[in-house]
Amino acid sequence: MVDDAADGMTGRYLLVLDDDFLDDTDRARVAVQEVCGGERPATTREGAPAPGRPRLFPELGVAVAELSPQQLAAARADRRLLGVEPERVRHAIGLSEEYLRGFRDAAQFLHAQLTAGAVAAAQFGDTEELTWGLQATGVAESPETGAGIAVAVLDTGLDLEHPDFAGRDVETRSFVAGQTVQDAQGHGTHVAGTACGPLAPSSGRRYGVAHEARLMVGKVLGDDGTGTDADILAGMSWAISSGAQIISMSLGADVRAVSTAYETAGRRALAAGTLVIAAAGNNARRSAGNPGFVGVPANSPSIMAVGAVDPSLAVADFSAASSTVDGGQVDIAAPGVDVHSSWPRPQVTRTISGTSMATPHVAGIAALWAQRTGARGQQLWAQLVQAAQRLPLPASDVGSGLVRAPGA
Amino acid sequence: MPEKVTVSLADDAVARIDEVVAALEHGGLRVEQVLRAIGVITGSVDTGRVKALGDVAGVVAVEPERTVRLPPPESDVQ
Repeated sequence: MVDDAADGMTGRYLLVLDDDFLDDTDRARVAVQEVCGGERPATTREGAPAPGRPRLFPELGVAVAELSPQQLAAARADRRLLGVEPERVRHAIGLSEEYLRGFRDAAQFLHAQLTAGAVAAAQFGDTEELTWGLQATGVAESPETGAGIAVAVLDTGLDLEHPDFAGRDVETRSFVAGQTVQDAQGHGTHVAGTACGPLAPSSGRRYGVAHEARLMVGKVLGDDGTGTDADILAGMSWAISSGAQIISMSLGADVRAVSTAYETAGRRALAAGTLVIAAAGNNARRSAGNPGFVGVPANSPSIMAVGAVDPSLAVADFSAASSTVDGGQVDIAAPGVDVHSSWPRPQVTRTISGTSMATPHVAGIAALWAQRTGARGQQLWAQLVQAAQRLPLPASDVGSGLVRAPGA
Repeated sequence: MPEKVTVSLADDAVARIDEVVAALEHGGLRVEQVLRAIGVITGSVDTGRVKALGDVAGVVAVEPERTVRLPPPESDVQ
């Protein structure tokens, strides 16, 4: 049992309404009333409300209310709300005795932690139901599915007969001369699985994020795992003109200098409402003192660069660090060590590591945000980095932190 | 020796991409793809004529084509 008051909570919840309720007090009042089970909220203009009655601050688009566990669950899934959080007791900061006592306790706590060695580290692991990555990013708790959003995965193609994609409407195109989109390499089937794999796979745990997104597969890397700028850029151009809101690219070259072609493509994609997400690269050997650097195309300022963390949320040994070129920073991090996902038949699934595996976690979660908020392009980028869970690690390694699903 | 290149267009040249393509062809580019959605053109050109393509009006960059390579499929780190 958690004692709310002792925990600094009031037992009430803050309901943050979507922006389009800001100008419409009547609609906001109706929405809050529905969430709170029929009780009409008092607005700030009516003076102090009766205890227990929900209270609406129309100019802020925020309400405070008591919610039953059932109402709380419904509120978390309610698309009209941007967030639901427990209300906390806050105190003015002054040199009261209480404040000084709190300061002393906090200082003692920090001192004890430092002298004890370390803060207890997170430790995730695959369960029978879920991969560790879906747990760590809150995907399992998110009510969004990616429905209505198109995610283009540019890679080695997809095993089109894979049981986990059977019956799925997948739009495909090969940009590799003389090769079909069928994945003979494996990499593409793995990353597509993480971004858009099913809610209930044919065997084993769930590994896919945006299971109702429209999956577009562009084969830009051949069966030998190589690809040219021309084919990759052609894939990006196809994805943008075909209406993809998100492009996932688990590929790159260990080149420090930014490519004008990729930066131009990334910038025009954002302008068209398409967010391009790319792997930071695996050129680090941190255990040997080499932090590596973000390569092309992830080092383009207009392309989001994804680093990899492990199940204890430490940066992966291979995950490239930010470089000093303009755009060469890691923007966000995602699960990229021991990632279980789909693999071409007959193997069906496989567990591998890499910033390639981190990237489709961000792409899938971007689809969840795009579905929830309607954000596209630069605005979607901002939502992802804003919602990321901060990690006690250098921003040069993990950017703004661990990608986080909406509603989690 | 012909080499493969990627040509990026300036923002104000994207709307007249066909004119730029014609000028690039005149400059020796054998055009392979015109990627309208991103304002990028790919093709091949003799090494001695690469530099002059960068002077074509509306072109902001001419870059040699790169190849990316995944680790072998059996690798644990991809």
